[in-house]
This record gives sequence, C-alpha cells and structure tokens, in this order.
Amino acid sequence: MSINVGFIGLGIMGKPMALNLIKSGYPLWVYGRRVESMAPLTAAGAHACASPEEAARTADITFIMVSDTQDVEQVILGPKGVLSGAQPGAIVVDMSTISPVATRSLAARLMESGIEMLDAPVSGGETGAVNGALSLMVGGKPEVFIRVKPLFEQMGKKIVHVGANGAGQATKACNQIVASLTIEGVAEAFTFARRNGVDPGRVREALLGGFANSRILEVHGQRMLDHDFRPGFKVRLHQKDLRIVMETAHQMGIALPGSALVAQHLNALIGSGEGELDSSALVQVIERLNEGK
Amino acid sequence: MLPKVGFIGLGVMGKPMAMNLIKNGYSLRVYGRRKEAMAPLVEAGAVACGSAEEAARGCDVIFTMVTTTRDVQEVVLGERGVIAGARPGDIVVDMGTISPAATRAIAARLAEAGIEALDAPVSGGGIGAISGTLSIMVGGKPEIFERVNPLFSCMGKNIVHIGPNGAGQVAKACNQMVMLIALQGLAEAFAFARKSGLDSARVYEALSGGAAQSRILEVLGKRMVERNYDPGIEARLHYKDIQIVLDEAHTLGMALPGTALVTQMFNALIGRGGGNQDSSQLVEVIEAMSKNLL
Repeated sequence: MSINVGFIGLGIMGKPMALNLIKSGYPLWVYGRRVESMAPLTAAGAHACASPEEAARTADITFIMVSDTQDVEQVILGPKGVLSGAQPGAIVVDMSTISPVATRSLAARLMESGIEMLDAPVSGGETGAVNGALSLMVGGKPEVFIRVKPLFEQMGKKIVHVGANGAGQATKACNQIVASLTIEGVAEAFTFARRNGVDPGRVREALLGGFANSRILEVHGQRMLDHDFRPGFKVRLHQKDLRIVMETAHQMGIALPGSALVAQHLNALIGSGEGELDSSALVQVIERLNEGK
Repeated sequence: MLPKVGFIGLGVMGKPMAMNLIKNGYSLRVYGRRKEAMAPLVEAGAVACGSAEEAARGCDVIFTMVTTTRDVQEVVLGERGVIAGARPGDIVVDMGTISPAATRAIAARLAEAGIEALDAPVSGGGIGAISGTLSIMVGGKPEIFERVNPLFSCMGKNIVHIGPNGAGQVAKACNQMVMLIALQGLAEAFAFARKSGLDSARVYEALSGGAAQSRILEVLGKRMVERNYDPGIEARLHYKDIQIVLDEAHTLGMALPGTALVTQMFNALIGRGGGNQDSSQLVEVIEAMSKNLL
C-alpha cells in the first residue's frame, strides 16, 4: 500500500527534502508559492498543485516547510489551505521552525477536524537537507510519529520524538538558547583574553579539554580566531529563530535574560549589514562594544 | 465652526479624553466595544454608534484610543472600520501606543484613500487623562498637526510635534525605554538597600532631590518602599509597550541590551500573575532572583 505525500514549501530546505522523498519512491503532490520552485520537483516526477489545499487533498501525510509562524498559519488555515483539503485521518507534519504556542493551537484546530499533526523542526542546514542528514526534533502522538518515521528517515539521520504537540518546536528553541549563549560566551572569553594580552588560540586549546568544551568552542571558536565568517549558520536565520524564542517567552511570561541579550547582538549584526555571515561574527559585536569602532 | 469629532475606544484613557473634548464644546460620535462604556458619554451629549465606521461617518477628525497594534489595525482598516466611514480629507488620530512600523503602514493605507493620519500617543496615565494634562507626542504632517492641535489642547498640556508619521510612536517608545530602565534601576537599588539591611524609606529620602531624582523615583519608588502595588499603571501595559520597542529594534537592526533585559523582567512579572498590578512590583522580581534560602 503506497502512501500519498503532500509537500508544501519548496525553498532552500523544502526542495531537497521533497526530492529525497521522491527518490525513496513516494508519490508527491507539491505546492510552492513561486511557480518556478515546483519545476525541479515535477521534473523528478512530482505532481504540481495550485494550492496547499490541492496538495493536501489526496495526501495521507502532508509536509510543510515554510519560513515563519504566520506562513504556517496561512498555509494551514488560510483560504485554499491544508485544512480545506486534508481528509480526516490524514497527518500534517510541520517541519518549519515556528512558535510552540502557535503550533499547539494549530494542532488543536486540526484535531477538531480529525487531522493529526506533528511538529518536526530540523537542524543541519541546506547541506543536511541535500544529504538526507538533518536532525529532527518531533512533537506529537507516539502512534502518529511511528507512521511518519519511515519518511523522516529519508530526510534525516538523527530523529528524536521529544514529546507531545509543540515539544519539537520547544526543543528547537532550547537548541537555539544553548547555542546562542555558548557562542556569546566564547566571543566574550576571546575578547577578554585578547585584552589581557593572551592568545585566544591558546585559550581555546586549554578550554577544549575541560568543562568549557563544546562543539561551538571547537567550530565557532576557530572561525572567530581566523575571522572567517563564511556560513555555517547565517546570522539572519539565527536572528529569526531567536526572535521566535523571545516572542514565545514574552507571550508565556518567561524571563530569558541571556537569550535576550544575544538577540540584541544579532540585531546589531543585521543593522551593520552582516546578516549573511556566520553566527560566529557575534565576536565582532563584543569587539566593537569594547573598542568603539 | 468646530470640527465634528469621532471617538473610538472608551476605556480608562479614552473615556476621560472624550469627556474633555465634550466639555470644550465639541460634538462627538462615539463607539466603544462595550455598550456600557458609551453611557456616560451619551449622558454628556455624545451620539452612541454601533461601529467604528458609524462613529467616523460625517466627522472631520476621528480619534482612536485602543490597546494593541492589532486593535488599531482592526478598528481603522478592518470590516466596519474607520476607513469605511471616513471621507477624503478627514483626519484619523491614533492615540494608543503601538508599533511605529505598523503606524506608518496604516497611515500609508489611509493616504491611498485620501485620508490624513496622525499618531499621537500619550503619557500621564488615567490621572493625566482625567485632568487634561497628558503629554502628547505627535507624528504626521505639520499642517495636519496644526488643525488638530486645538483638540489636543483639550486633552493635554505638553504637546510636541516630533516629525512625520510614526515619529510620535518612536518618541513614545523612547519615553518607555527611559522610564522602564529607570524603574529597573530603582528596583535593583531598593532590593540592594534592603539586602544590605537598610530602611528603604531612608534611601528614598536620600535619593530624592539629588542626581538620581526622577518622576519614576518619586511615584513608583514610593510604591516600592511601601510595597503598595495598586495601579498606578497596570504592569501588563508596560509589558506590552516594551515589547514594541524590541520588535522595532529587531527590524532596525540595533542592540538595546537594557531594554531587552527589562523586557525579561516584565515577562517574569506577567508569568507570576502580576499583570493587573502596578509596575513597581518589579522590585519583587529582583528580590525573588536573589532569595536567601534559610
């Protein structure tokens, strides 16, 4: 019995993810806001659709991979949206990075119409998407997760079911909080080292063996030392993800002082036109703060 | 001949503001989401309307005084909104505190329909609204500001034309930044004083009249000393206002570290259920962070 799959959102991430599903033999009905975005998919055998509703109509599982909370809400609840087309018993899987609060609300709304939902935000960037090597953090019912797992395995390597609806998004947010504060910590440490006349490269070496060790000290730390800010993970996307975290914290009445400060530093990088650089460029904000350039 | 006035939003601020216009001889068409809100205005001579559109009809100047950015968008541009009832040449004046970016967008949309717009957020709270002593920070065309200035004078004392559309909201954002970061300073200072074993009333006395003197110290500092958190201004309004500043900083691409931290303090305040009490409660958030475990 073959599973019909819908895929909405065919940008930098969505396109290679959808292609991986086609390569694994799933029949795909696709929709992208820009008509040209569907061409590579139809060339690979997908059916082009005129709306999210149409993509969802015959689908057992419909994936969504768009930019922001409002985009997901529009795709699901808007006119000619997924909710209008999907059948009771179908599954909607949102793989965008959006607000956990909005996600829980969308899941409840879909459930009213008998449609299941998973949130499965990813990390690993375009490279991970192309290579089918993304990391997925999934929220939703266990039995629904199990049904979608074989398809997740075509798009990702590390797939973790973290909890109920919204848990995937909350986990992704946690990832951003830890990563952001760690990058900030390394940036501040290196700046402090330099001001003390100490080679930050030696500092990094010393720290790698102990409690301050992290992937970020390793990778982003090296980029800071080399002043090599080729992405990586772009400041622009990092700012967007952290904005979601801060908006959610505001909505829920949660204080996140450290994350709030890092969000401001990312703002500064955007303002100085450095949105396309790697997040390790954060060190420049601390340097500028301390040198007045 | 006095311009005909529409007034939409008759809450804690809107009602006394509308009343001051009536007291000064303006004839008002009013609309408030809750019917009871319109009763005192009707008693004073206003005409009650069933929608923002209806309140705007036949008016030269239409005021809105509602809470959030979304509320303003709804009331001005939504179904049965002001834009449906106003005519080219009319002036829409939003006096709420909302997003500068959204304000500019609303003004542009109204301009397409030939309708003028001013943003005129206020400072001074319910007391200032009742006594007609609000500070008003205005954005929009100079000639439009001049036409509405006599009406502003019925509602406020310190009325400043800041710049083009959106400038009023930016000035208000600056006001909130200065005020709320000062509040953070006060909260930390009084918590520090208490932790050091001092009588916060004595510290209050010492700070008053010196370089640390401010309206915030005077009014909210007093509430901190007395641990009296009856509003004043409900913390949820400051919580809303300060997030507007951060949203704008995000768009502008600039770092506002102090504002960002104070916003987190307000998040915590709301999270622990303090939204309907005065913002001077912030001192308890600071005290909670450094609670001594006995």
